[in-house]
Amino acid sequence: MRKTAELIEENNEKRGLLNHDNEKVYEDILLYLRTDLRIDEHAGEEILMDLLDHLVEAQEDGKSAKELFGESPQKYADELIENLPSQNRRNVLWFSASQIIGLTGWFAATFGVISLIVSFFRPVDNSIALGNLLLMLLSVILVAVIGVMVIFKIVRSSVFQKDKKKWQAYVKAGLYGAGAFACVALIAWLFDDFGPVVKLEWWIFLLTGLVFLAVSKLMYKRTE
Amino acid sequence: MALRSQLLKGVLDACVMAVVEEQPVYGYELSQKLQGIGLPDISDGTIYPVLLRLQKNGFIRGEMRPSASGPNRKYYFLTDEGKAELDQISAEWLEIAKPVSQLLKRGGEDEENS
Repeated sequence: MRKTAELIEENNEKRGLLNHDNEKVYEDILLYLRTDLRIDEHAGEEILMDLLDHLVEAQEDGKSAKELFGESPQKYADELIENLPSQNRRNVLWFSASQIIGLTGWFAATFGVISLIVSFFRPVDNSIALGNLLLMLLSVILVAVIGVMVIFKIVRSSVFQKDKKKWQAYVKAGLYGAGAFACVALIAWLFDDFGPVVKLEWWIFLLTGLVFLAVSKLMYKRTE
Repeated sequence: MALRSQLLKGVLDACVMAVVEEQPVYGYELSQKLQGIGLPDISDGTIYPVLLRLQKNGFIRGEMRPSASGPNRKYYFLTDEGKAELDQISAEWLEIAKPVSQLLKRGGEDEENS
């Protein structure tokens, strides 16, 4: 069985074989299926590959995407979704946990690297209040989780629309992202230090971050 | 309407299984074969929701294999459950097919139009 990641990579390469019009319709369907969090990811990628192979072959025979997907690609995609197996709960749990740990890893590793860079220019106060650290972490995770859901929803609602509508949706999604991180910054600024203060060097952050990223990767593999 | 589409779904499921039983096929081949048989209204895309449904029910399974033209394709095979289901649908269909076509042919036998 091909792994999900391999299917995605193969899909990226093969899409280049489509002509402009067919690629547009196909990518709408792809985006619509991939942003549907209810369906089993591997089964979704498999049917996307089937459709892509079919479309490439149909294109060689002089047929268009319209002949494959009918007048309403959205209706067609809904029909596919209806018949796809749903993501099993255990997988959802593993996947979410791996993403959250991964995000925390990036957060810590980036923080470590930034402290290192800053330390070249001025002395860095590397004492940190554990209460604040925890609060920041929780708010980043919360914003990210809600963010993914909101942004996916905005994108999905615009998938089969005209380009102008799509741009509006992307701007909206971008604004949401910016607003969300402003919230995190605001929380950081509003709360005074609390909780025990510890001294953590930059490399501790970097190391912890890398370990988290590795763990996240391993957990993600289990979902495949 | 619901009954009507239910009926069509069942018939389409059976047709797809019958083609797959004869010989494992991949998606594009399957649509070509169905059109070749003379089923006019089965547009290319119609088969994919059907294939997904049949897989979900365990009637067919997919397997990657190199195709005649070279690249790997997902070929569909009929499972034992699928075989049993197909036998049952075929039996039921054959029972009703003759009387129903007779009945729907209103206007008599010599006025057959295609």
